[in-house]
Amino acid sequence: MSDLNQEMAARYKNNFLKEIEEQAEMGEWVKMCMQCGLCSGSCPTNFHSGWDHPPQEIFMLIRAGKREEVLNAQGMYMCTSCYNCYVRCPRKVPVTHVMHGIAEYAYRIGRAPKNQPTMHLSKTFWTNATKHGRVNEVQLTQSLYFKDGIGAGIKKAMEMQKEALGLVKAGRLNPMEALGMGHKCKDVKGIHAMLAKAEELEAKNKAAKA
Amino acid sequence: MTSVVATNQTILVVGGGISGMTAALEAAETGKQVVLVEKNPYLGGRTVQLYRYFPKMCHPTCGLEINLRRLKANPRIQVLTLAEVTGISGDKGAYSVSVKLKPRYVNSNCTACGECGKAVQTEIADEFNYNLGKIKAAYLPSNMAYPQRYVIDPSIIGTPDAERAKAACKYDAVNLDDREETISLNAGAIVWATGWQPYAAEKIVYYGYDRFPNVITNVEFERLADPHGPTGGKILRPSDGKEAKNVAFIQCAGSRDENHLRHCSRFCCMGSLKQTHYVQEAYGDEGKSTIYYIDIRAIDRFEDFYQKVKANPNVTFVKSKVARITEDKAGNPVCNGVNTEGYIRYANAHDLVVLAVGMEPSVKGVQIPAEVMSDSSGFIMADPANAGIFGAGCATNALDVNRAVQSATAAALRAIQVVNKVARAEA
Amino acid sequence: MAETKTAAYICKGCEIGTRLDTAALVKTATKSGKMNIVREHDFLCSAEGVAMIQNDIDNEGVTHAALCACSRRAKTEAFNFPTIAMSRGNLREGVIWIRPDTDAARETTQEMAEDYVRMACAEVKAMTVPPGNQKTGTVKTLLVVGGGMSGMTSALEASKAGYKVVLVEKSAALGGWAAKLHKRVPTREPFKSPEDNGVADMVARIEADSNIKAYLNATIAKTDGAPGRFKVDIAIESGAIAQEDVGAIIQATGFTLYDANKLPEFAYGKTPNVVDQAGLEALAKAAAAEGKPIRRPSDGQPVKSVVFVQCAGQRDATGKHLQYCSGFCCNTSIKQAMYFKDSNPDIDTVVLFTDLRTPGNGEDFYRAAQNKGVIFSKGVVSQVVPSGNACTVKFKDLILNEDTEAQADLVVLATGVVPNSGVNIDAPVAAPAAAPAEAAEGEVAGEVIATIAPESILNLTYRQGPDMPQFKHGFTDSHFICFPYETRRTGIYTAGPVRRPMDILQAQEDATGAAMKAIQAMENAGLGKAAHPRAGDLSFPTVRLEGCTQCKRCTVECPFGAIDEDEKRFPLFNESRCRRCGTCMGACPVRVISFENYSVNTVGSQIKSVEVPDEFSEKPRILILACENDAYPALDMAGMNRNEYDPFVRVIPIRCLGSVNTIWITDALNGGYDGVMLMGCKHGEEYQCHFVKGSELGRYRLSKVGDTLKGMNLETERVHDLEVAITDIATLPQKINDYAALIKSFPPSPFKGF
Repeated sequence: MSDLNQEMAARYKNNFLKEIEEQAEMGEWVKMCMQCGLCSGSCPTNFHSGWDHPPQEIFMLIRAGKREEVLNAQGMYMCTSCYNCYVRCPRKVPVTHVMHGIAEYAYRIGRAPKNQPTMHLSKTFWTNATKHGRVNEVQLTQSLYFKDGIGAGIKKAMEMQKEALGLVKAGRLNPMEALGMGHKCKDVKGIHAMLAKAEELEAKNKAAKA
Repeated sequence: MTSVVATNQTILVVGGGISGMTAALEAAETGKQVVLVEKNPYLGGRTVQLYRYFPKMCHPTCGLEINLRRLKANPRIQVLTLAEVTGISGDKGAYSVSVKLKPRYVNSNCTACGECGKAVQTEIADEFNYNLGKIKAAYLPSNMAYPQRYVIDPSIIGTPDAERAKAACKYDAVNLDDREETISLNAGAIVWATGWQPYAAEKIVYYGYDRFPNVITNVEFERLADPHGPTGGKILRPSDGKEAKNVAFIQCAGSRDENHLRHCSRFCCMGSLKQTHYVQEAYGDEGKSTIYYIDIRAIDRFEDFYQKVKANPNVTFVKSKVARITEDKAGNPVCNGVNTEGYIRYANAHDLVVLAVGMEPSVKGVQIPAEVMSDSSGFIMADPANAGIFGAGCATNALDVNRAVQSATAAALRAIQVVNKVARAEA
Repeated sequence: MAETKTAAYICKGCEIGTRLDTAALVKTATKSGKMNIVREHDFLCSAEGVAMIQNDIDNEGVTHAALCACSRRAKTEAFNFPTIAMSRGNLREGVIWIRPDTDAARETTQEMAEDYVRMACAEVKAMTVPPGNQKTGTVKTLLVVGGGMSGMTSALEASKAGYKVVLVEKSAALGGWAAKLHKRVPTREPFKSPEDNGVADMVARIEADSNIKAYLNATIAKTDGAPGRFKVDIAIESGAIAQEDVGAIIQATGFTLYDANKLPEFAYGKTPNVVDQAGLEALAKAAAAEGKPIRRPSDGQPVKSVVFVQCAGQRDATGKHLQYCSGFCCNTSIKQAMYFKDSNPDIDTVVLFTDLRTPGNGEDFYRAAQNKGVIFSKGVVSQVVPSGNACTVKFKDLILNEDTEAQADLVVLATGVVPNSGVNIDAPVAAPAAAPAEAAEGEVAGEVIATIAPESILNLTYRQGPDMPQFKHGFTDSHFICFPYETRRTGIYTAGPVRRPMDILQAQEDATGAAMKAIQAMENAGLGKAAHPRAGDLSFPTVRLEGCTQCKRCTVECPFGAIDEDEKRFPLFNESRCRRCGTCMGACPVRVISFENYSVNTVGSQIKSVEVPDEFSEKPRILILACENDAYPALDMAGMNRNEYDPFVRVIPIRCLGSVNTIWITDALNGGYDGVMLMGCKHGEEYQCHFVKGSELGRYRLSKVGDTLKGMNLETERVHDLEVAITDIATLPQKINDYAALIKSFPPSPFKGF
């Protein structure tokens, strides 16, 4: 994986912008940013906890050719897809998608940090959802709680006990899901077939692009 | 029936703001016959609603007085107020134009003595002051209103209030039977100078203009600062009448934004820089202004003005497009965003937020009842095929007053070129 | 000449009739006004009232009428009698609306009204209807100086309106700066790509236009005369002089790029790879001619990376370089970056700016450049370091907040413009080569304006200097926001970037507007009519030469350079240069200058007509001379708002503070007035005087009145100069009252009853 990182670095010597434009999904939008900062200020997660580099700054770093700084950044993984930035951007830059594109690219070339929580969430979510045709909430929660070990998982579960019981009482959570039971999708096979087709098409597209 | 004398050598000017007045006056002072059509009951347009002009900090009515005197002294201009052009047919050198005239309910006998205003009880929203206050339903729109004649609001027609107005007038100037009429007139050339309107601020949802009383627009702020405005020139915030000593100005509210106005409205940077003076004028060193901006566009010699404001320790510049406005418990609007110069997050509470809303043509190209070329924002573009209809002022571009007047002067010549040709042909 | 027959009309409408004893006013007009006919009317501005007056004019032979009703600013459509001399006694806004309707106030209000009736009668009797000056020039050919985009536009547009044009260009070809451009910034939707510079088309149109006569390699050797009759000597290539008669002049002499050699930190001149915007245009033109990519000057290799440095030597607060922004350079750099990107998207183009200024649809052009891959960075460039065939541009990135650098094959400096405005006629005459630090005139101190040799462009024979007066930073702009073309030289207009920094599109718009004004000036000069702001005024100053002492004050003070001296050193009025402000009349110590309808006498007789009560009456009299442009309207509007003021003032509108002759003040004081208040517009750097220098000159004259007062043993505060804006509607009455209170604190004038 890290070989791909070096390969890309060499291929786009001194032109990180071009690398992002060609390799990251929606990367061609980076050049359109006019540095107004509306995205950075609109982001609820950035605003409350502060990313190391918010979107507009990541775009500027890319344009300034700061490859290492961008690939080491945490910002693009922090996006919760609220789309505030996307709908407000005065340049109509699809900021949400660009951030995902950069995160995905960093992951693809092996530069995403291990155990990055949002990346872990999305991977787990994807596996969980595609397997069952719908999200198995209990299993998803378990895998998130226990990602940092059993002790941490139990601690987190205890913390959330009250909320969990409330949800069960309200009929919003089925404890049997832990065993793979509970709500199911009507046609799991059909969904799997659709996903397979989608993957096939995407692969074809990628091949055509390359 | 209103009668207008017009021929194919007449120039029709649509819009009686500073651009339309200028085009009309320049043409008339060159010996041309002009008909000037204005939608409002008075001339002067938006400039009259400004407190001061940048960069001289002088008063718009000063120039208006001169223009009105030029107008009064010039028999070649016929003015139609409460009038709108509804149709244009024919071709350059021979247009036929229909003009809809709304009733004023007050005829030329009016001496502006004010008795009808005293008699009427109904109050209506004061449009001249951007609805920030109320006025009587029989009113003189402003001190400088021309024609200097009262207007009776249609809402009281048929009510006892209208009868009161009529009874109060000793000069038989109130005509409650006044009706809308449409007249048609000829013109050889047309100058379209319908000006601009402030962008509808409520469309910028994240600034909460329609939710937060202390978020207002730049044009409204002009009225607040004006001693003849609804607060008598005191800068008081709408929610509780508190003195607004800490004022934020948000640039590009609508402008330079593909979700709102594609273009840069040009005047708003200078407008806000000017308005920081109002805060300083009102509260001295206690008055603090913060300008949130993307680029300060103090173009050409206006740079001097920017540098002077920049040197004022009571004015802070933050390079940032404010991301959203919230309200704190004290009712203060809070500007949230990121200062992009060095990435500094902020949540600044202010007494009052002024949105520097941009300029859009008040009649967009497609709404003009004639064939004109316009750009994606609806501003009229010069037509290489050179018809006899010419844009002037802010109908053609986002312009400040000075440039709008230049544009109008140029438009007057273009119209004269057409009617001179007609004259040569008819000679 | 028709026999003089005077009439006074007293209106009783708008409560004048109930608030005042109009029968007494009739008596006043008859007895003290000595009017031949005096009539009252219930509603003078009504159709019947107007018909009554018209009937008197038509059938009674009335030649002079005093209309005592509302303000001269009101009901102007009704009271429109152009064939007679007319004055307006302001009984409404000036009397009943500014006085309380109480029994206590009745007497003083009535006295006020009676005085205004007397004044209106006195004024109109001193007036005659201006016949219009007969000695007018009627030449309707336009001279355009400068054959660049602005000049060519003015010429073509004037021709299109049917006027003949003489176009004078200094160089060997038309086109100016625009001709040097590879392409121009787009002027139409979709504002995405540079356009053809348009010069060839315009030159062809000029050459094909029989209305336009162009002189190339020619300059103006001498400009003499006035609008409608300018005589211009054109120095042509052969060394000979061609003479042209023209009616108006447009100066469109453009600009020179600021000298990049003054920016040693940017390595201009140290390496050919640092160019200014003109340098880049030349490279682009040469490359296009060869059909090759733009090449690096040092070694002829194709340029692979370019850095554009915005505001180089501009927006400079240190005073070393240009203080202003040149307005068009952001768009120009965007356009130039596109030269590269459009030919090869792999060329790196970086624009370093502090504020990117692309107004209007320039925003689309900016976006288009970004879309083409031009990189924009907010940064301040400190240094350009050449090494071999490359350059290192050191700058502070303001977004990333760090000092950094960029490598470039080529660096383009956006250096901005210096206007070609000729000689600065207001500059201190002494030692032009002296250290600029000694210029010491406000903010201009230390500013490097022009580096161009101060050669005159127009060579005007005017007493006030050979060129157009300059505004800020050497540009010949107008000072007026509402009136951008108002210059201090009637019939001469400047257009394009010599007037103000601007792009081509704006320059063409400006040049069209200037052509409009120039045509208007020619037309009106021929009719003897004044130009702005008293447009259409037919009155004209005449001099009683036998009384003239040749003191030259009128020639020196005229804000418009209208007056020269004849061979016998008497003032020579150039009729169509005059703007009718009356500054000459105010300046004249022997009072020999007057207008038909505005003179020392029209005002003086009003002053003398006021009845001054004796010193025991406790009724002081205060004369107010109020500028008709701002102060008088403000007083009117005070009346409309019922803002009351002191009943002892008597207001006389004047054309400009500059027209105030000090004799009016001394006459008033000698006649027993207790005080004189003068109201004029703001002067100084941000002046608002519509006659530019009028209020300033008037105030200067007033500053000398103190000695007169001392000589009369009067308190110097008795003459008070007040700066008034048209918006002082509420504050002005207060100031009047404060002043009246001060006057009342003094003993009564000792001159009463003489």
